[in-house]
Amino acid sequence: MRRRHGDSPASRVPVAALQGALAAEHAAVWVYGLVGAFVPGTLNSRLNEAATAHQARRDATERILIDAGAQPVPPEPGYLTPEPVTDAASALRLAITAETDAAAAWRSVVESSPADADLRGTALEALTEAAVRATRWRVTAGVTPLTVPFPGAP
Amino acid sequence: MLAAGTALLLAGPAALTGCTPSARAPVGPDPLESPARRAEADAALAQAVGQMAAQAHPALAATARALAEDRKTHATALRAELYRARPGPPTSRPRVPPPAAPVAGTADVAAARTALTQAARAAQEEAAGLVVTLPGYRAALLASVAACCACHLALLS
Repeated sequence: MRRRHGDSPASRVPVAALQGALAAEHAAVWVYGLVGAFVPGTLNSRLNEAATAHQARRDATERILIDAGAQPVPPEPGYLTPEPVTDAASALRLAITAETDAAAAWRSVVESSPADADLRGTALEALTEAAVRATRWRVTAGVTPLTVPFPGAP
Repeated sequence: MLAAGTALLLAGPAALTGCTPSARAPVGPDPLESPARRAEADAALAQAVGQMAAQAHPALAATARALAEDRKTHATALRAELYRARPGPPTSRPRVPPPAAPVAGTADVAAARTALTQAARAAQEEAAGLVVTLPGYRAALLASVAACCACHLALLS
């Protein structure tokens, strides 16, 4: 642990929202492991990029939670997808779902964190990246509309 | 939403929204005034590009129309929050003319794309800058606006 708990008052760290973000990152990492089996190999580099980004967010979020004296939530032993993944189209829809969930979770971190440049900045970056990946997957999948006006909003 | 065995709940904590309107006398322009005006101007620009490019470049026109819709929605939400914070008619709202749209008829697709890209980038930067300082509800609103503008940039690149 890099900091003593006293240096980072738990009241200033939105632990519940961060746990939600961590859960979303665990789920996204799992999703990209699955999606790769169903989409053309030409998408591999984009899939790897997305998976790597979510792994990095997951690890960074775990560190923030540990520094705040919280026990990071573990990945679920299994995930239920909203629909069976059977082909490229359903796999891409699942990727869009994972990014949409991540965007929502990070928006909650923005909303519930104090006006703190570090954490809000991190959460905004994570929200933005998830939203952009969702849009890019919609382009790939031919899903419209390609954008939503308020990514992450309930 | 993706469901986990034990229900993967991503719902954020119910946010206690930002400010109480009458807690203190507002001084100076509301910080949301500028992003609201920018959203209105961007919507007008994107609508003009959508019409201009409809024939010559349907793909750009489609992106422009999507951008116009999103920015109109942003403007509405920002105006609603402005009104919530300070009810009453807007006082001396300066009328900022929308940026000049590329001249219709020339079908200068490159210039239109550049104008939209610059607008989206400026909007993203302005909204992102406000996220750090504003109260929670407003910060989240601006965070979504910034993320949406980043998506516009991705479509334009």
